[in-house]
Amino acid sequence: MSGARGSKGLGAYAFERLLNAIPLVVGVIVVNFMLISLAPGDPVTALIGEFPAPPEYVERVRAQYGLDRPVPERLVRYLASVAQGDLGFSFANRQPVFTLVTERLGRTLLLMLTTVVLATIVGVVLGVAAARRPHSAVDRGATGFALAGYSIPEFWLGQLLILIFAVWLGLLPAGGFRSIRADYVGWAAVLDQARHMILPMLALSFRYMAITTRLTRASLLEVMNADYILASRARGLSERRVLWEHGLRAAALPIITVIGYNFSFIVAGSALVETVFGWPGVGRLMYDSIFTRDYPVLLGILLLVSVAVILVNLLTDVAYALFDPRVRY
Amino acid sequence: MSRSILLLACLAAFLTASALAQEAPTPGGTAIVILGSDPEHLNAGISTGYPVGAVGASLYSALVYLDAEGVPHGELAESWTVSDDDLVYTFALRPATFHDGTPVTSADVVHSMEEILGPNHGRFQRAFAEMASLEAPDPQTVVITLNRPYAPLISLLTVFDAPVLPKHVFEGTDPLTNEANQNPVGSGPFRFVEWVRGERVVLERFDDYFLDNALLDRLIYRVVPQDVARSVALEVGEADLLWGFYMPTADLERLEANPDLQVWKGLTIPSLYFVFANNDNPALADVRVRQALMFAIDREQIVEQAQGGLGEVAAGPFGLGFAFAYSEEADYRTLYPHDPERARELLADAGVSDLTLDFVYDSARGAFAAAAEIMRDNLRQVGITLNVQPVERSVMVERVYGRSYDLSMQSFTSGGDPAIGYHRIYLTAEPGTNFVNATGYSNPTVDTLLDAAAGLADRDARAAIYDEALAILANDVPTLVMFNELSTEAAAGNLRGMRVRLDQRDGLEYLWLAR
Repeated sequence: MSGARGSKGLGAYAFERLLNAIPLVVGVIVVNFMLISLAPGDPVTALIGEFPAPPEYVERVRAQYGLDRPVPERLVRYLASVAQGDLGFSFANRQPVFTLVTERLGRTLLLMLTTVVLATIVGVVLGVAAARRPHSAVDRGATGFALAGYSIPEFWLGQLLILIFAVWLGLLPAGGFRSIRADYVGWAAVLDQARHMILPMLALSFRYMAITTRLTRASLLEVMNADYILASRARGLSERRVLWEHGLRAAALPIITVIGYNFSFIVAGSALVETVFGWPGVGRLMYDSIFTRDYPVLLGILLLVSVAVILVNLLTDVAYALFDPRVRY
Repeated sequence: MSRSILLLACLAAFLTASALAQEAPTPGGTAIVILGSDPEHLNAGISTGYPVGAVGASLYSALVYLDAEGVPHGELAESWTVSDDDLVYTFALRPATFHDGTPVTSADVVHSMEEILGPNHGRFQRAFAEMASLEAPDPQTVVITLNRPYAPLISLLTVFDAPVLPKHVFEGTDPLTNEANQNPVGSGPFRFVEWVRGERVVLERFDDYFLDNALLDRLIYRVVPQDVARSVALEVGEADLLWGFYMPTADLERLEANPDLQVWKGLTIPSLYFVFANNDNPALADVRVRQALMFAIDREQIVEQAQGGLGEVAAGPFGLGFAFAYSEEADYRTLYPHDPERARELLADAGVSDLTLDFVYDSARGAFAAAAEIMRDNLRQVGITLNVQPVERSVMVERVYGRSYDLSMQSFTSGGDPAIGYHRIYLTAEPGTNFVNATGYSNPTVDTLLDAAAGLADRDARAAIYDEALAILANDVPTLVMFNELSTEAAAGNLRGMRVRLDQRDGLEYLWLAR
């Protein structure tokens, strides 16, 4: 990729982007910290429990967690410890935040990545099918599907799927990460986990399938009217090659953009879906931490999410360069 | 002739029934119990959270347990004696061992109370504050000396309030960060196997338990955060037991109709629902206005519609749970029937018109939202505007105990003794302490009477004192007592041995699976 005038090469570009992200991440931490500190609700109440405790005891607990210090001092301390790679200690779980989050990260990534892959494949295939014959039955079907995907909330869809596939049909487990009664090993364990993933993955990906379908259709329709497509057809290329090799490649940029953009929404969606399905991931940890006002955990997760979003944006930009030879960094 | 057939039929029915009742417990198998949220850690000595207590009840043991009727019995304590002045409690311990094989001694009991529970366990504070000294004169004896007589002490020494933790594991460490909080060592009927955070906690039978060994081989606590998913887990056979605390009440009817499940409803730990009235509001400081509210609010309707019938209209300041703290003359059901006309008279009498009240409640409690709508409608009929304000739980706590509200609905429990959970609602207190006197009501006579009742072990003598206090409270209505909640439980059809203790979470060593 190097050599073009004014370009520093993709590696150098990525490195620079990462460096520029540091002030952004610090900004995210500061804003989140302030928002959480200023929100009503006292973590000490959640820590102590629901009964009268002597005021001295309450103050002791407050001091123990450093919550008696002024907010700016707490912020500086927090930033200093994050700079040293320490995300702090969870009030409620009495464990380092890093351990708590990393323990669950794999499960959330599993759900999120399969969702992105599934949504992209199904969305692109449906979008292409719809764009090939605009206003046909296939197109109308895909459009209807997309409309439903846009309008159905994830948590509702999740409950509906449980009702249909677990309660009525008894085909799939109602929730959880794997079977609790049986201890499977080897392939049986993989299969068991796959069965547990189907419903949460469907609930989470439906919306993104819809978005990708709509976008692929619109983008492709535009491209397919371009002169060079006409030229390709005139050269006698098969319709299949025209569509998949020339059309889709040109239509891919907006699709890639939206996949990257969707990523941050999938994080939010996973909090809801993980709660509905009892999936022990980071999203649910975030949900629980809001209720216990477990600030360090909440901040740690928000930090992780913002770093992930920055990385995904960077990956999107890199993907541009790979798909479109005109893009140079 | 027909009479003897009837007799025979009765006899046959009786025999079948008793045969069913005496079904012999079969040991073995695994039962899955549902938790609504992950335990924060597994040290019941530093937390009062419901899930920590649930797992803790099977992992740890304590000096006493409360049976299904709330009567205390010795657990680690084989017996105990109380001195004549009601100040010195001497406990004789049974021989017992921790799950790592170390014997449980009086030093463990004293260390747990002084070093772990005292500084870190919110609810133990009550008993701890009454203790003048804690001693271990020999390995099998614990002596607790009180500052003053305190009748509920024994009820506060259960596994939920005072679990015994191993001294050799915790001594010289910070109990909040000890590794054993993730990998617990107790002396209860089940020992720790595995904890997958957010998913499950697995325990297995401890074969050297000092009382009868548990019947199950394994006990698994499974985390199901979404309430609808909990009933579904039971219906599809992915779980065996669901406690009332985690029950989605809207699903109860469906669970009851399912022939593969068993559903139980009843009073266990008396849980009482109150509407607090802030006396800092001049209108609510007038006793006539508070009485008017009692006449205006249709508590029967709230029980039926908001609570789905799972309740009984409360009988007085301490509800229905404690016979010795109930007086027929002070029964709210006869004193304050639903009577809007009477409410309007009292309000006119007090010179109150165009009253608007802020009703603050925890938005996560669905039943409260329905109750709020009913109350708004009830109060509109007597000319009071109710400004309904659902807020998040921690915000509700800040507002109510900072006395920045007019009316607020909450529920309190008082396991084992009204002095544990209910006295605090009526005793004079400074504002700002959470979960004590939210109303600002202060009556020195009531203070004296309730303190005296808490100091007496003899329940008849206490009843006489309560009668006097109840008469005052019934007139003053410092807090509008709404209803006693009925508890529920749903279980797989083949599960047996539930509810042998006052708290549903306790006594799971008696669970077994019918084949």
